[in-house]
Amino acid sequence: MSNRFGLPELGVGIGLRTVHYSHIVDTQPDVDWFEILSDNYMHTAGRPLHYLDAIAARYPVAMHGVGLSIGSTDPLDRAYLRELRALRDRTGARWVSDHLCWTGVAGKNTHDLLPLPYTEEALLHVADRVRAVQDFLGAPLALENPSTYVEHAGGAARTMPEWEFLARLSEAADCALLLDVNNVFVSAYNHGFDPRTYLDAVPFDRVVQLHVAGHTHHGTHILDSHIGPVIDDVWRLLALAHARAGGVSVLLEWDAEIPDLPATHAEALRAREFIGKVAA
Amino acid sequence: MNRHVVDVVALHERASATPEALARPRSAPREPSRAAPTPSAEELTLRGTQLWFQRAVTTPESEESAIGEREAATRLTAGPRLTALERLEIYRRGYHARLVECLADDYPVLQAALGASAFEALCRAYVARHPSESPSLNAYGRLMADFLRDGAPDETPSRAFAADLAALEWSIVEVIHAASSEPLTLEGLGRIPAEAWAGARLVANTALRLQRFEYPVNAFFQQVRDGASPALPSLSPSATVVYRSGPTVWRMDLTEPMFQVLQGLLAGEALAAALGRAEAGLAGVDPVEIGQRVTHWFREWVASGLFVRVEI
Repeated sequence: MSNRFGLPELGVGIGLRTVHYSHIVDTQPDVDWFEILSDNYMHTAGRPLHYLDAIAARYPVAMHGVGLSIGSTDPLDRAYLRELRALRDRTGARWVSDHLCWTGVAGKNTHDLLPLPYTEEALLHVADRVRAVQDFLGAPLALENPSTYVEHAGGAARTMPEWEFLARLSEAADCALLLDVNNVFVSAYNHGFDPRTYLDAVPFDRVVQLHVAGHTHHGTHILDSHIGPVIDDVWRLLALAHARAGGVSVLLEWDAEIPDLPATHAEALRAREFIGKVAA
Repeated sequence: MNRHVVDVVALHERASATPEALARPRSAPREPSRAAPTPSAEELTLRGTQLWFQRAVTTPESEESAIGEREAATRLTAGPRLTALERLEIYRRGYHARLVECLADDYPVLQAALGASAFEALCRAYVARHPSESPSLNAYGRLMADFLRDGAPDETPSRAFAADLAALEWSIVEVIHAASSEPLTLEGLGRIPAEAWAGARLVANTALRLQRFEYPVNAFFQQVRDGASPALPSLSPSATVVYRSGPTVWRMDLTEPMFQVLQGLLAGEALAAALGRAEAGLAGVDPVEIGQRVTHWFREWVASGLFVRVEI
């Protein structure tokens, strides 16, 4: 391990998806680890937990959420946090992650990962909330850089690039990072920056996990659709990030037109073709 | 008693992905004639920004954008290839597509019954009427049957049938997410002393929903699952119990006397009282035969896992 939190390097894993439940339970494939979508196992007492218990007993898992809404100006949802912590304790998840975003305000929820304005006000606000969540969990929270399709102008306030915001936030809140290199690639295209500029600013000692995924190119913009396979440019970013982190857990997300588990796993294992082939 | 498995695989699985299937082709956003208002200092705070952004994103796509190009440009930057408003519209389309996809996961047979276009219109009306107020989507579609009875677009076909079908499909979602316990077995049943039978009460599996319908919706559901494209059925009362045993969800059609007995048992009536309901529904049938039938139903229900224990 090379991250400052002492969190383990789990190898190359894949996101746990319901279409693969039976295959995993029945055949126990040789997958290093699974990332679970926390929200799929919250607000339920039924079948999702039936499968999750069996899989978490056999494989290392980490939790990845979409519902924390760390950037919202609504109060933190304590009921959500309690359920998140209970799920972490139930599964023995190695860490808990969510996104640098907000999902709703004024009691509403858009269920989307909405972009924050990267202002000093937002930095202070989010850092306070990350600290509160970490105090509640008794563990570092890993925040993921989102794919974004728009940037806030910020009005009279100075805005900073996302990479600066993320680096300063992780320092201020002493949190971990989940670096999604596909999201870096997507946002770089959508906003017109060099993805290596982003990576140059990432404090890699805080990176506990890397995400990689497929996307959909629409010419005018790229959608973070998680439809694989992963393009080589993104794999090369992954290899660069992996080298700079000095070894870190890797995870493939595939969320639409999902192939069977062997094919999904084979795509994830392409990471090994690229890792170690670039200089940090 | 025929029972059928529900082969639900993926049920509104959450992901951090942006939906690719953005169902509605979009023309370029229209530019309202009004001038772009200058945001106040309060409106430019983080709170004000979020309230503004959310209003823009959640405005139904059937309506003109809540904001225009000039207003968008006061708050958002243009990208290398898209204007500020075009970039914002990606989120508006994603918001609606995600919730429509969630409802399609919950109501696949309703979607087949109404057709893709009418179903999408129904879902968009639902999304406009019922914005989500929970971090979870598991219960987002719970109001669909009520919405079909009162609030759905007038052009929605066969709303009464659709409401019944939605109620059946929602009960499947509910039992998937409901807790369940180890079921009572026939062996466990056999250990009850004979003298305790009449007053015994059965405790039902919590992952179970018993429903009565105006239409034969379970038969329709099965036909669609079998790959048929049946015509929408006429009025004909039916009753169905939906329940989960382990990871498997089952549907079982019931006759009216069966429904009466099972309803009594689920309501906590003592066995003798609940089983006595069969006599009312089977007038003219020989009492011995009634006893045999009820015993058969009862054993089948226990063997199917509808109950978890007996309280004597």
